[in-house]
Amino acid sequence: MLKYTVKRLLQSLFTILAIVTIVFLLLRLLPTDYYFTEDQLMKMTEQQKHDQLERAGLLDPMGVQLVRYYGQLLRLDFGESRRLQVGFKVTDIIAERFAISMRFGLSAMAISLFLGVLLGILQTINKNGILDHIGTGYTIFVNAVPHLVSYSLILIFGQKVLKLPSLYSPRNPGPSSILPIICLALGSVANYALWTRRYMVDELNKDYIKLARIKGMGYREIMVKHVLKNAFVPLVAYIPASILLTIGGSLLVERFYSIPGMGPLLTDAIGLYDTNIVQTLVMVYASLGILGVFLGDVMMMLFDPRIKLAGRGETR
Amino acid sequence: MNNQDELFRFVEHSSEAAERIGYSDYSYWKSVFSNFVKKKSAVVMSFMFLAVFLFSFVALAIGKYDYTALETQSALAFTLPNGEFWFGTDNLGRDYWCQVWYAAQVSIRLAMIVAVGECIIGVVMGCLWGYVQALDRPLTEVYNIISNVPMVIYMTLVSLLVGQSFAIMATAMIATGWLAMARNVRNLVLMYRDREYNLASRCLGTPVWRVLVKNVVPYLVSVVILRLALSIPGTIAMETTLSYLGLGLDPNTPTLGILLRNARSYFVNYPYLLIFPAAIVSIITITFYLVGNAFSDAADPRNHV
Repeated sequence: MLKYTVKRLLQSLFTILAIVTIVFLLLRLLPTDYYFTEDQLMKMTEQQKHDQLERAGLLDPMGVQLVRYYGQLLRLDFGESRRLQVGFKVTDIIAERFAISMRFGLSAMAISLFLGVLLGILQTINKNGILDHIGTGYTIFVNAVPHLVSYSLILIFGQKVLKLPSLYSPRNPGPSSILPIICLALGSVANYALWTRRYMVDELNKDYIKLARIKGMGYREIMVKHVLKNAFVPLVAYIPASILLTIGGSLLVERFYSIPGMGPLLTDAIGLYDTNIVQTLVMVYASLGILGVFLGDVMMMLFDPRIKLAGRGETR
Repeated sequence: MNNQDELFRFVEHSSEAAERIGYSDYSYWKSVFSNFVKKKSAVVMSFMFLAVFLFSFVALAIGKYDYTALETQSALAFTLPNGEFWFGTDNLGRDYWCQVWYAAQVSIRLAMIVAVGECIIGVVMGCLWGYVQALDRPLTEVYNIISNVPMVIYMTLVSLLVGQSFAIMATAMIATGWLAMARNVRNLVLMYRDREYNLASRCLGTPVWRVLVKNVVPYLVSVVILRLALSIPGTIAMETTLSYLGLGLDPNTPTLGILLRNARSYFVNYPYLLIFPAAIVSIITITFYLVGNAFSDAADPRNHV
């Protein structure tokens, strides 16, 4: 187990390093004009620009820049923001945004895990009944129709009928967070319901359930002790990944409601060509993604002792 | 000797019985089709999609305005749907009818091209990925690298480096989208490649491509079609998201994402700006979602009688 974990972590480190390198090189492919504001482009002479780029070390050969960047990473020095919030440390900027995204993500996550699993259970109990059809319709709608459309519908409903604010404002965090959290939870409720239902129905059709019925076990007891418990194992594997993903913030929801979280930071930073922020953000996202899959596998193993991770590293 | 004559007797040829036993009516594609038709919702939605798709051409032809010749007329802004402007006008007083239908066509075209592109590259690469073991590590690494970086980063870099257009967008989406398909195909190929009959084939010297095409690919049909159908709503959703963030097609081509972005500040007061594009895009995406699922159920031989 320990050997497997270490091996897997080393592999992940390699993957993250590769991602960071690729993004670093891609960013350096862009013309250097992007480094300046329009104002600076107009006023500064070629010589001034050249000097400034040289001072920042951006005119060195690519290899030199890359090695220097690796050196900074080793010292955990992620540099300062060059354009977005000039002079602030990248880690501080990201930490501040991260806290906001995390608050939204975790609340949405908690709600959707509860509602989604509940909906899935209700659908299973009420299989082929009205509730089941409503639940299936909901899942199909949410999964098929672009999120932008469903978010817009929620926005209209929330603003017209419930009189909720349509933009997030830090001065009024309570009511103005309701709509974004609903939007964030919308998709994951559907997915949890879908998977809970599918796994529970699969489990219900197995032979040992028949045996349990024959030996006179109550319906409720079978559901709780056998079906739900076993159906939860594959579900558990997705939980860490989705927690980490929601922490990373949803680009669309945050942009839609003007929430100053991680998502808009990414597009703003790329748009303004703030390389240090982009690189660090990419690293954060990649680490969250990889960590999520890994934790999912570990959780699954903890819940079901029969599952072993060693093998060929193929767990899904 | 007489004994045997009593025990055995000749059965004369009966053409009726021969027809009943000797000829099976089973054909794979026929069963797929008959199972598919049983799913009412998918069939109804397919007809609805076809109607919408065909009507989008009619709609553009009979509309009173041409999307290429739209002009800003502030005086006419936010006209409610009426005889002149069938879907009303947007915030700049431009006819909404032609914008919505044109956007629907652009979205369908983009989704189809991306779906087919992803499918071809995904199946070919997936087969290689699963069958040729030397390729497994490098391709898994490529998968990890591409799938762990948000799509937005690629799209922004692409739009900064080469610009924004329909072709660029389609290429960029195929370039990242084939991985999901390839991964799926790879997992299936891994399951089938070492079956006994394939081992036997290989021992007899059958070339790799022949084993793949004859013995492995038929198992992939239902999965490939499912992914193909599901990638269409996925592409349309991705397009709306990217266009909304300003990374999609250039802002002058009406697409659903751009229409929704423009309408973001107004549609609370003018809900028709949302309802028309939303209804059309919902029909398209829900159709492919249902058809994909129905078809993959129907294509699974275990569901055949």
